[in-house]
Amino acid sequence: MKKSSIPTPAEVAKKPRPQPRPDLIAIRKTCDAEGTGLSHYVLMDKQVKR
Amino acid sequence: MNGLSARTALESSERSSFSLHPFDIAHPTHIAVVEPDTAFWGLVQKDRLAETLAGGPLHDTLRAKGAAFAREMDLLRFHLKPSAVYFNPTERCNLNCSYCYIPGDMRRRGKQMETSEVLAALERLHLYFRGHMPEDRLPQVIFHGAEPLLAREAIFAGIEAYGDRFRFGVQTNATLLDEEAVSFLTSRGVGVGLSLDGPVAEIADRTRRKWSGVGVFDHVVRAIDMLDGYPGYNVICTMTTENLPHLTGMVEFLHGRKAPACMLNVTRCTLPGARAVRGGDDDVATAYIAALERTHELYLETGRKLVVANFANILIAILAPTARRLMCDISPCGGGRSFFALAPGGDLFPCSEFIGVPAFNGGNIFHQPIEDIIDSAPFQRVIGRKVEDIAGCDTCVIRHFCGSPCPAEAHEMNGGMTQKGAFCAFYEEQVRYALRLIADGRHEDFLWDGWDEGAETACSIGAN
Repeated sequence: MKKSSIPTPAEVAKKPRPQPRPDLIAIRKTCDAEGTGLSHYVLMDKQVKR
Repeated sequence: MNGLSARTALESSERSSFSLHPFDIAHPTHIAVVEPDTAFWGLVQKDRLAETLAGGPLHDTLRAKGAAFAREMDLLRFHLKPSAVYFNPTERCNLNCSYCYIPGDMRRRGKQMETSEVLAALERLHLYFRGHMPEDRLPQVIFHGAEPLLAREAIFAGIEAYGDRFRFGVQTNATLLDEEAVSFLTSRGVGVGLSLDGPVAEIADRTRRKWSGVGVFDHVVRAIDMLDGYPGYNVICTMTTENLPHLTGMVEFLHGRKAPACMLNVTRCTLPGARAVRGGDDDVATAYIAALERTHELYLETGRKLVVANFANILIAILAPTARRLMCDISPCGGGRSFFALAPGGDLFPCSEFIGVPAFNGGNIFHQPIEDIIDSAPFQRVIGRKVEDIAGCDTCVIRHFCGSPCPAEAHEMNGGMTQKGAFCAFYEEQVRYALRLIADGRHEDFLWDGWDEGAETACSIGAN
C-alpha cells in the first residue's frame, strides 16, 4: 500500500505563517465541475489514485 | 423545469449589477464581503469596509470576471449530469442505530439482491453513464445501506466483474469486515467508509448497536487496524447529543490510529428517531469547531493531517466552488442530478435519504430507462428545490456556501421543499469559521495536499 510522504513536525513548524494578514484577501479558483457525492460517504477516489 | 431555472438564475445575474454584502465572521480584524449569486467574496480589514464597498479591487474583479463566475455557478447548479450511484444491495441491517434514515421494518425484514440482480443493475448503470460521461472518467458506485456486506457475495461479484467500468466504494458498519474482505477491497482500490461515533465503546455504542443492544465499537476498531496504511479508507462520525462532548477525543482517537480522513456529520433529521438525538445548532457548532481546531494542533505537532472531509468541502466551496466533491451543500443539492440511490428492488430515489419516503420513488431500473426516471416528477421535485425559493435563504449572502440542506429533512420534518432543513445556524457558523481560517492564512492546513491540482486561479488578492 502506498503511503503519502508526510512532512516532519519541524518542517511543518517552519511553514511560513503570514503575519500580519493583508488588508484585503480574495481567492477564486476554477476547474471543471465534477461534484459527485453525498455526505454519507467520503469520496476517497483521488486519495486511492495518488 | 431545470433548464428554465438555470436560465432564470443566469439571466438574473447578468441583468443586475453585482453587489457586495458585508458578512460578519467574528474575526478580530477582518470582515467578509460576499457577492451572493456568484459566490465571489473578499475579506477586508474592518476599518476599510466602507471604501471596499464603494469600489476598488473586488469591484474591478467582478466587472472583469463576474459574468464568468455567474456562468460557472450556473453550470455547477443546473447543468451537471449524474456521475455516481448509491447502490443499496440490501434493505437489511444487523444494526439498529438510533438515527438511521431507513425505516426499522425494512432493516429487519427487507429485500436483498441476488448476485444476478446486482450484475444486471450494474450493466444498466454502465450503459447509462457511458451515454454522457467522458471515456477518461469513471462513474462511482458506492455500495451503501442498510449494511451492504450482508450481500457480500453479490457485491464482490459486481466489483470483480465491473472493476474497469466503475470506481467502487463501500460504506459499512464494519461488523462483517474480515481480513479476506479487507484484502479483496484494498487490492482493487475500493474506497472503504466505516462508521464510528465515539473514541471509546461507552460513547460509540450509545447510538450504534445491534438489534440485541450490544455495541459494535470493537468491530470498528479492528477494521481500522486492518486498514492501517490504506489511503482509501475513512471514518464517518455522526454528531449527536450522545457524543458532542467527546468530538475532540474522537479526532484524537482517529488521528492516533492514522485515519486519513473522517467526516463529522450532523444527523439528518428525515426520520423521527434522528431528531431525538439531534444536538442544538450552537452546541454542535461549538463542539465541531473545537474538534477541527484539535485536528490542526495535531497536524502542527505531528506533520500528519486528519482531514475532516465535510469541512474541507465547505472550504473548497468557498475557495473554488466548482472543485467541491460533496453535493449536499449546494443548491439544488446533488440528489437526482449528480447522484441517485438504487434500492434493492430496483427502485431509484434521488438520494438515499428518500428511500424511506415512497413518494420520492422515481421508477424502477429494471423496467424503465434511467433517463426517464431522472425526468420523473419525484426526481424533479428534489432537483428543482433551490435557495431562491426558500424564505430566508433567498436573501442569505452565504446561500451558495451552504445550499440549505437537506430536502429530505425539509420535506419530512419541516413540511415542504420550500422550507429550510435542520441546521441553518450550524451551517452559518461553519462558513464563518472557514472564512476566519482564510483570514488567518490557516485554511490549507485543513485541506488535502494537492486539493487544487488542475484548478486555475481566477482571482488571487493577498493570498500569500
